Amino acid sequence: VLDKLIQLTVNGVMAGAVLALPAIGLTTIFAVLRFVDFAVAGHMAVGAYAGYMLNNAFGMPPWAAIMGAFIAAGAVGIGTDHLALKPLRRSTALTLAIASIALNIVVESALRVAYGSAPRDFDIPLQRDWSFGGLHLGPQQVENAAIAIVVMAVLFLFLTFTATGKAMRAVADNPILADSKGIDPDRMTRLALGIGMGVAGIGGMLVALDTAIDPAVGFRSILSVFAAAVLGGLGSIPGAVVGGIVIGLAEELSLLGLPSTYKSGIGFLAILIILTLRPRGLLGRPA
Amino acid sequence: MRNFTKSTVTRRHALLGAATVLTAPVILPTRGFGQASGPIRIAGLLPLTGGGSSFGPNMRAAHHAVVDEVNGAGGLLGRKIEYLVEDDQTNPEAGTRAATKLIDVDKVSAIMSVWASSVGSAVLPLCWENHVMMLAIAAADSIALLPHQGYFVRTQPHTELQGAQFAAFAIAQKAKHLFVLMPQTPFTDSVMKGVKDLCEPKGVKVSTLVYDAKKTSFRSEIDEVMRAAPDVLMMGGYQPDDIVVAKDVFRANYKGKIIGFAYGITPQFVEGAGKEAADGIYSIEPVPSASSSAFARLKKLMKKEDLDTYICQAYDHANLAILSIAKAGEASGTAIRDNIRKISNNDAGMHVDNALDGLKALAAGKEIKYDGASGPCKFSEIGNILSVTFRINQVQGGKIVEVKA
Repeated sequence: VLDKLIQLTVNGVMAGAVLALPAIGLTTIFAVLRFVDFAVAGHMAVGAYAGYMLNNAFGMPPWAAIMGAFIAAGAVGIGTDHLALKPLRRSTALTLAIASIALNIVVESALRVAYGSAPRDFDIPLQRDWSFGGLHLGPQQVENAAIAIVVMAVLFLFLTFTATGKAMRAVADNPILADSKGIDPDRMTRLALGIGMGVAGIGGMLVALDTAIDPAVGFRSILSVFAAAVLGGLGSIPGAVVGGIVIGLAEELSLLGLPSTYKSGIGFLAILIILTLRPRGLLGRPA
Repeated sequence: MRNFTKSTVTRRHALLGAATVLTAPVILPTRGFGQASGPIRIAGLLPLTGGGSSFGPNMRAAHHAVVDEVNGAGGLLGRKIEYLVEDDQTNPEAGTRAATKLIDVDKVSAIMSVWASSVGSAVLPLCWENHVMMLAIAAADSIALLPHQGYFVRTQPHTELQGAQFAAFAIAQKAKHLFVLMPQTPFTDSVMKGVKDLCEPKGVKVSTLVYDAKKTSFRSEIDEVMRAAPDVLMMGGYQPDDIVVAKDVFRANYKGKIIGFAYGITPQFVEGAGKEAADGIYSIEPVPSASSSAFARLKKLMKKEDLDTYICQAYDHANLAILSIAKAGEASGTAIRDNIRKISNNDAGMHVDNALDGLKALAAGKEIKYDGASGPCKFSEIGNILSVTFRINQVQGGKIVEVKA
């Protein structure tokens, strides 16, 4: 049982680290725009396909193709938001969230038209797991977790130490005050969208590296991503990291007592509990 | 204040009410009525996207080919056939929305080639309530047991039959321990039960695990498999989850034999999972009737040498629907229901392998027996196909080839 517990914990942390990236994307956009943008799912897929193209067509290794995933998902995110969601910006958060679901369908459908529905695979050799006694760990799992940690660290440094990052946080904290200080809210909005969707795109590519690429690669994990963001506190980037790890762990550890078919229910359960007991999330600020 | 004790119904209200009642049948949508004029509408509800997307487009092409042939020869009952198609996304919610549109808006008589069991289970009640015939592929045993009033037949062998093939494979391989790993589907329980019922009396231990196909990784589920150390692993998912499972099994260094449903182990599966993970995996496939004249005819019609069972079944569905309508002399779901066995189970009739020949024979007053590309197309009382053969395939060097068990 102890072996199983440790193995599930390892699997949960690895899965949670990857899950944290799109959760960061979702929460970054929420912090500035104040609505839940479910289109991150489609942009995870955009990132996955961009990485796939760079890997398969240009022979770039996955760690280098990650940059392409970030740029493509970020650019498409800014563009699609400009066309579909920006005109609705004065509407309620619920209207915008629903519109973002529609946008997500459009993005996924566009990928389906461009690439078809058949799953695709990166041009990288499939590696056997490393074994340590009764435990095992996949090289791809470790690589994905390492990339996720590096991305999180870069994002943290950007938001903490650069003037632009500080300006973005200022808009998230108090847009009126930030505006009065001469910070361009439109520019910060585009930046938040670019970073949020870009990071989600990297998350999509990491999921695809471990599984396969298809237009629904992001949509399959959107419930867990949303649960992670809510659990950590919508708008809190450290919260999204904690939320991702906790949801990843909870989904895997649930196998100790629940059938595997209830894994999806963990996300719902987490949302229910956190909204009932602590609506602001683990690291969110009071409304 | 309004006096509720006094009736407020005036003569004008009464007249308006009566007029409404009288005109309602004309204005409101009706159900169960045949298509008396205009084109005869039949539809494909197909997996053009999602887990079954490898098959949907070819099935649509087979439907089109049959309908175009019949329309080119003058149509059916003196009217053109209008073929409509909707994408069920291999998803019951999307499938239900699409079926509702086909039934309520397009007023189709038949919905053909419903592929996924989850979609079939969700859509069949709409069909029988609205007297629309479903000609399906969906294999879950439970579907045929629904109170469908005869508005259902399927050409795919039901899952209990398929489960028996997996058991036979494990026994033939002299397996000591078979692990059945399947997603939650309407047929999961019946397949698992079927495999256990056949394997355990032969001394083959059977372990089972049902997973959530919506998740992106199954590493922890594969850990369970590895702990059980089976010598045969049955991978019972659809293509997208089979890909992830196959990769995770390869990574975990599993050395036993792996077998899955042929609808999961496809060329797209090999591409998605990669050759290393896919090589050596077996699959069980219902065999189309490759020696039949219908199969040869379909090859020419589709200009394809390699026809999978689903193209053949889709071809058969379109022929069966058209010939049933012709036999009835009426375009409705009820007419198809009441006549489909008269043209499919009637061994004494003139054997035909396509709608054109069947229409000519029926016009000449002859009885017919339709022999399909997927098989003899004879149906039980609850709609199951009566006779099917299977073959075993294996991925070898990235290609799927037929092998002996």
